[in-house]
Amino acid sequence: MEKNQYELCLEVLRRLHRAGVLKDIMLIGIWCLPFYKEYFSSTTYSPSFRTRDIDFLVPNPGKIHVQTDIPALLKDLGFVVNYSGSKGYIKLEHPDLLIEFLSPEKGRGMDDPVKIPRLGVNAVALRYLNFLVENTIKVGVEGFTICLPHPVNFALHKLILFQRRINKEKAQKDRETSGMLLRALIKKGDAVLIKSIFDSIPLRWRKRIVKGLQNAEDKDILSVLGEVVS
Amino acid sequence: MGVIKGVLREELANSLRMQSGYERELKKLPKGSLVKKCIKGRHYYYLLMREGGKVKFVYKGKVSGEEIKKYKETKEIRARYRNLLSKVKKQVKFLRSSLRGKESV
Repeated sequence: MEKNQYELCLEVLRRLHRAGVLKDIMLIGIWCLPFYKEYFSSTTYSPSFRTRDIDFLVPNPGKIHVQTDIPALLKDLGFVVNYSGSKGYIKLEHPDLLIEFLSPEKGRGMDDPVKIPRLGVNAVALRYLNFLVENTIKVGVEGFTICLPHPVNFALHKLILFQRRINKEKAQKDRETSGMLLRALIKKGDAVLIKSIFDSIPLRWRKRIVKGLQNAEDKDILSVLGEVVS
Repeated sequence: MGVIKGVLREELANSLRMQSGYERELKKLPKGSLVKKCIKGRHYYYLLMREGGKVKFVYKGKVSGEEIKKYKETKEIRARYRNLLSKVKKQVKFLRSSLRGKESV
């Protein structure tokens, strides 16, 4: 199952690359973890389990350079289009993978999906996603590259997010993932980088991150951020 | 443990939605598959389908290359969807039993 799932993910990426879509979108969410292996090549890094959800971030839905129909592109792999929620967010579903598109929320926010006609899909607009776009890395996969959020941004974003989650299990999963990633980054020698990125984000977000870590009594990470356990 | 149970619950909801998705897509596909019969040295196309539990051949007359291709693709898609639907059903069964199937989830 795991191998099939990874193979399917690679095939999806391959097709998106061939269609020229990968230039305009980035992979976010839990599926970034296996692709961070290259970044952590010099240190021990063992990503935790992953779910079937694979999220793609469309930073600029209005500035897509290619015209393609993603559901049609993936149809023969067995992906079916389903609409979730009352607003009809598109999900491309397969027993091994569920693809969803996200976009950074603009202004005061809205509930309606962001239409992306050039890709034949729509996206869920969410807060804090710009933080993932601000600092990215490119990872080589089978001769093409995929864009991922920098692991530091990914981990800090999860720390901001987990406290906003209504679903407790998801919140716990976010906290555990960010903890695992930050520890791997510290081991790799990226403590200074974590601190500098942490210092660059708005004060409210920083407070939220610190509060979350204090609740979890995560002293190692708090000390890297220059904070103390209350 | 709570995390795993929460993930399983979410995955079950996903699988159930997916199951109805595949069932819907299968219904949308045109019925039957195209077969070529050789009668007295000449080739004729028939649409093979089931109606009321009986196998039925419907004469199609002249069929263009494009139509043949379309039926072939449909047949492949149907086979794939059926395969995936059976996979999803197995997932639903597994997830339900993992979450102690007697409870309503």
